[in-house]
Amino acid sequence: MEYEFPDELKYLQTHEWVRIEDNIATVGITDYAQHQLGDIVYVELPEIGTTLKKGVNVAEIESVKAVGELMMPLSGKIIEVNTGLADNPESVNSSPYGTGWMVKIEIINNSEIDELLSVEAYKEIVKTEKK
Amino acid sequence: MDLKRTPFYNIHVKLGAKMVDFAGFSMPVQYDSIIKEHEAVRTKAGVFDVSHMGEFLLEGNDVIDFLQYVMINDLNLLEPSKGQYSCMCYENGTVVDDLVYYEETFDRFRMIVNAGNIEKDFQWLNDHIRGKDVKITNLSSERCRLAFQGPKSDEYLQPLVDVDLLAVNRFYFAHCMLSGVPIFIARTGYTGERGFEISFDNEFAEKIWDELIKAGASPAGLGARDSLRLEATYSLYGHEISDSITPVEAGLFWLVKPKEGIDYIGKNVLMEQKIEGTDRIIVGLNLIDRGVIRDNFKIFKDGAEIGYITSGGYSPTLKKTIGLGLIKKQHKEEGTELEIEVRNKFLKGVVVSTPFYSNV
Repeated sequence: MEYEFPDELKYLQTHEWVRIEDNIATVGITDYAQHQLGDIVYVELPEIGTTLKKGVNVAEIESVKAVGELMMPLSGKIIEVNTGLADNPESVNSSPYGTGWMVKIEIINNSEIDELLSVEAYKEIVKTEKK
Repeated sequence: MDLKRTPFYNIHVKLGAKMVDFAGFSMPVQYDSIIKEHEAVRTKAGVFDVSHMGEFLLEGNDVIDFLQYVMINDLNLLEPSKGQYSCMCYENGTVVDDLVYYEETFDRFRMIVNAGNIEKDFQWLNDHIRGKDVKITNLSSERCRLAFQGPKSDEYLQPLVDVDLLAVNRFYFAHCMLSGVPIFIARTGYTGERGFEISFDNEFAEKIWDELIKAGASPAGLGARDSLRLEATYSLYGHEISDSITPVEAGLFWLVKPKEGIDYIGKNVLMEQKIEGTDRIIVGLNLIDRGVIRDNFKIFKDGAEIGYITSGGYSPTLKKTIGLGLIKKQHKEEGTELEIEVRNKFLKGVVVSTPFYSNV
């Protein structure tokens, strides 16, 4: 099974991806995570304006057979959520890095960015999990 | 202990199916997408490996008398070439298993039982023969079973078989040839669509599977099997019926037959429940708030716990979450609003009529 992991993104062990542009981070779940969960049918997104710490649960991702959690990759304030997921939750499966994005965060603590994983480090984690 | 495998195991693995442990068997939960497989069954046809289920042969002059004693349904409604759905119950009315038996001749019946109950059912049946002329053979591991379900199932199957399928009415069965292979085929199913359930010797597994796929059917796994039966509101053993839930509580009061002059296990309790009603009853549920209903979530009304979800999930056809709940009967009216505990929240739900979907 060949999963897609864009080189320019950062990753977490808990299978989130992060795209950083200036002080805004866009977050979603990786191709591996969407495949593990199966057909996504509903995503419970947070309220805009909420400020949360890195590592805290920020969204719940319901698939036909399971529930997954989106963890904050960095501490910050939620400035935008993907309202398109209400009508098209399946875009998390078909376009996990594109139209399946989940939240945008205004980063509070830049030093946390160094703790994110490179694509190579994340690929290693996926390889170990698949065993 | 290693998981058991059906004769289709290699096919599932080659197709890249996600395999899980179901009743001790390694079974495909999905090949590609539960929703796509579900939709294929609702729009054309799907083929399911159900070889993990049990198959018994009952033979002898007293088979009908024997079944009248252990089954709650009435075999006087049966005839050769026809099958019947029933529950086998304990003395207290709760369920040993739900199953289908087919009358080949008055002294030869074929019975299909749930995978998780094969040993239990075989033991229960044998324990209740009580000296009658009945011999039971367990064919489960010698024969495989497939379900072929969908609105195009007749169209796809007819060119392959030597019997007129339209002459095989719902719940009737036939013995015929499918591409030169002898099969048992019944017009029964668990999806709410037109379709068939077939059984045949293990050696023909791959050949029959290939023929059905070539005819246009898509492989469908246990995930779709569950979402389809939930939409059609069919009971699942261990959920809507079990050794703590009676058929009347599950809404299957029509299965409990008076059978005048015939005693059967559970008759007293069940006939009383049928007449008096029960304290709790299974109802259909939707959510008013957004979310997904899942098994075992608790149900509340005005602050009091009134029951729990027996089966919950997502309906690809209705594009929303649906569920069945066992609740105190005072709240069973359609339109009754209640709260469902979803992890750390309480979501507003409502009682709705069932079935959620029907096309048979």
